[in-house]
Amino acid sequence: MADTIQLQIIDETGASSTLTAIRGETILEAAHRSGVEIIATCGMRGRCRSCRCRIVQGVVPPATVSDTVQLGHEEIRERFRLACQTKLLDDTVIKPMPPKSESGHQLLAGHVETSALDIYSGVEKVHIEAKAPVSEHHQTSDIEEIFMTLGVSLKSNEVPLQLLQDLPIKLREKKGDLTVTMFRGKIVDIEVGDTTEQIYGMAIDIGTTSIVGSLLNLKTGEELSSVGMLNPQSPFGADLMSRIAYAQFKPKNLAQLRGKILSGLNQLVGQAVEKADVSAANIYKVVLVGNTCMHHILLGIDVSYLGLAPYAPAVRDGQTIAASELPLKSVPRAHICTLPILAGFVGADALACVLATRIYESDTVRGLVDIGTNGEMVLGSKDHLIACSAPAGPAFEGAQIRHGMRGAVGAIERVHIGEDVICKTIGDDPAVGICGSGLIEACARMSDANVLNKMGSIKATPGLPKEIFNRIRKSDHGQEFVLVWSNDGGKSEDIALTQGDVRQLQLAKAAIFSGVMMLMKEMNVKPSEMDELLLCGGFGNYVDIESAVRIRLLPEMDVNRITYAGNAALMGAQMATLSDAEIDRADELVGKIEHVALAARPDFQEIFIDGMNFDTPSVREITGVEEATAL
Amino acid sequence: MSDPELKIPEGWEERAVKDWEWATLWEAVEEGDHGYAHERVKEAIDVGIDPRVILDDGLFPGFNVQGERFSEQIIFIPEMLITARAMKAGLALIRPLLAANDEKPLGTFIMGTVLGDMHDIGQSIVTIMLENAGFEVINLGTDVHPDRFIEAAAEHNADMIGFSALLSTTVYYQKVTIDEFVKAGHRDKVHILIGGAPTTQEWADECGADGWGGDAMLAVNLARKLITEKRAAWA
Ligand code: B12
Ligand code: FES
Repeated sequence: MADTIQLQIIDETGASSTLTAIRGETILEAAHRSGVEIIATCGMRGRCRSCRCRIVQGVVPPATVSDTVQLGHEEIRERFRLACQTKLLDDTVIKPMPPKSESGHQLLAGHVETSALDIYSGVEKVHIEAKAPVSEHHQTSDIEEIFMTLGVSLKSNEVPLQLLQDLPIKLREKKGDLTVTMFRGKIVDIEVGDTTEQIYGMAIDIGTTSIVGSLLNLKTGEELSSVGMLNPQSPFGADLMSRIAYAQFKPKNLAQLRGKILSGLNQLVGQAVEKADVSAANIYKVVLVGNTCMHHILLGIDVSYLGLAPYAPAVRDGQTIAASELPLKSVPRAHICTLPILAGFVGADALACVLATRIYESDTVRGLVDIGTNGEMVLGSKDHLIACSAPAGPAFEGAQIRHGMRGAVGAIERVHIGEDVICKTIGDDPAVGICGSGLIEACARMSDANVLNKMGSIKATPGLPKEIFNRIRKSDHGQEFVLVWSNDGGKSEDIALTQGDVRQLQLAKAAIFSGVMMLMKEMNVKPSEMDELLLCGGFGNYVDIESAVRIRLLPEMDVNRITYAGNAALMGAQMATLSDAEIDRADELVGKIEHVALAARPDFQEIFIDGMNFDTPSVREITGVEEATAL
Repeated sequence: MSDPELKIPEGWEERAVKDWEWATLWEAVEEGDHGYAHERVKEAIDVGIDPRVILDDGLFPGFNVQGERFSEQIIFIPEMLITARAMKAGLALIRPLLAANDEKPLGTFIMGTVLGDMHDIGQSIVTIMLENAGFEVINLGTDVHPDRFIEAAAEHNADMIGFSALLSTTVYYQKVTIDEFVKAGHRDKVHILIGGAPTTQEWADECGADGWGGDAMLAVNLARKLITEKRAAWA
């Protein structure tokens, strides 16, 4: 192996690790292969700055075009490079320096109203006094005695072998004082003594970015603890397509992603039981929801074709799998239930939202929308439900936005413009960047203040207050608007919104807007006729509704009829955990919800392009966009 | 970076008729007033200005400056499309006259989105812009199999082919399609351009394309450049 070199990586604490790399591979490839995680938000495509690192020692490889575009000449001179683009030429020492803190990401837990639920989770615990066989004459066995006491007609081969292995001891330990746990009529656990109160379940929503879970008492419906973590697959790409691309036709990579999520889930369960001070062995049912890609990867199903037209999932029905089979080691006695999938890009999470919001029993037309990288929306009433996916892209998560960042400490989240600009950051820390909700509000207020025109161009129009006017400037990145000066509320640099950032936002919000508008068109309802629009999912709950309507991210409807629904996907999962009837309902609903494939719709393009503008109906008359796109 | 300004074609007065002025047409294209653009081109034809001159001196200045602004993101897709529409309104009147003068299209361009990908908007904008620039464009739509590209290239004797891809999972098919052109022995007969949001110049080099267009105007400029070189090499 002549062509290997040494790569030394120094982390933020100053600790260093040295690994062997192959000459010519990128820093990121070498790091990931050895298990050192460097965040690759754009999926190693040189299109973000998350993998930024500094070459501390060794040959500084020449900057690639992507380095120049993402980092600028100054950083390049200061030996910054993108780890995903930089090929190792010789022994090198590097220091990963992601531009903004990715920690402290806002997680959202759901809370379910249990009174409305029929709590029968499918899990039952029965306390029995069983007798051990007494006479050799009786043709019986330990397990048959238990069946008899329970009064069930089961066969011993329906009992997990593991439970049979130590049954003789358990049965005799307290003279037959046992608690038997049944799941959907099958025995899943046998414990000594009365443990009927220890009956738990877990609901988990696996998002592309974050995973949230909640531990529930299956008898009372009470939430015992709620936990969250970033999806440990994140270093392999921020959006799900990048993860599919990573695993596509590469079974090893698929297995790697699967390993990440399984160990992540084990960790999450660990946190949950620790917080609630209960034993994970008493978790008997786990309901998992997530998008199709997360679902497939978890089950180890090949995703190669999920990423190619017609983006078909391998299975759609909900599954019930013994945890030992998956294997999810942390919950040895549990069964894992997945909810059904609607389509390649409308996953079980969307169905969970439908369960939680109960729009399937509404008399009037209501809608729910999950604003995100891969936006999902469902619209309808008890008569008819339709769904689609509208992919906004990662702009709302701060990716591909010059000073974009996730909702962490120091992110601008509120913007007010009067005589001057006032920004509020998360944690009231000095501003280090801007998160999605801040981006939306900034554009809304900039439109109001005439800094942005209808088409989204940053324009220094005469008559602007002086303080505002001075914030508009030209830079290497084109026109930009300074939100926070470095010496007045900033941390180390001016935080500005560039023209390119606004363009990214326009594409993202047009996708969500046009998705909702298409569904309304399909349903034949006008925004004014919609009874309610529910914002589901992590991001939706931080968005300022008035601003979202102002920039036409959401349709022009009465803001009082747009409401936050919390993390509806997790809520739906909680409901399905507590009530098996909800799982049946999900199975039934999946056959009834019609999926609208936007790409197949010739009228989509026109609505999408119209949706890029910031202003309302009249804009179409002024611009004639309708005709222009009909070229 | 400064706001691009309209470039007034040098010596346009000599090529037009006495007392003629183009400024209103430049502005009409720039602002996307297709009704006026149509009127003005019609007048120019009626007073006997050469169709080639109408195109170069009357229509292109407004179109080109908007294209540059689009590249610099000063204007966005809806505005670019409005200009394209105005341009097209004028072009519709001149095209038959150009053909009658035996003027051939700049070149033949085959355009499509690669296998597995249904994203249409980007490539349809590139198509409109290329047509406006004087290319004949055959658009094969989306989810196009490599064989379809090769067939179309042979059938239309294409000068150039463009592959669009918007997904991380399908950019790979840009390379696959190029490899298929090589296998079919058709690679040397065409110039291949690639584009779409996730692509980069580096990927274009790696997958063996002849060029990369980061946006529709860059695609047009690149196509113009390559076709001029090709014609020069032939001459
Ligand atoms: C509109 C859109 C759609 C529409 C497409 C409608 C249509 N008829 O085209 C719909 C809603 C159908 C759609 C579907 C999907 N989409 Co989509 N979509 C987008 C969106 C919002 C904008 C893309 C776009 O049109 N941009 C505008 C055009 C003008 O830009 P452009 O294509 O880059 O083209 C310019 C240049 O690149 C260049 N160019 C383009 N082609 C060519 C070719 C040549 C030869 C040259 C020289 C230049 C060139 O010129 C153009 C003009 O300047 C992006 C997100 C975003 N914010 O960008 C996601 C996005 C591209 N989609 C994405 C995904 C995943 C999908 C889906 C697979 C899944 C889903 N979530 O629904 C589905 C696929 C389903 C399907 N059947 O296609 C992802 C891709 C992620 C990735 N890493 O791969 C994105 C980035 C969003 C995300 N989730 O992150 N999508
Ligand atoms: S630039 Fe390297 S991962 Fe995004």
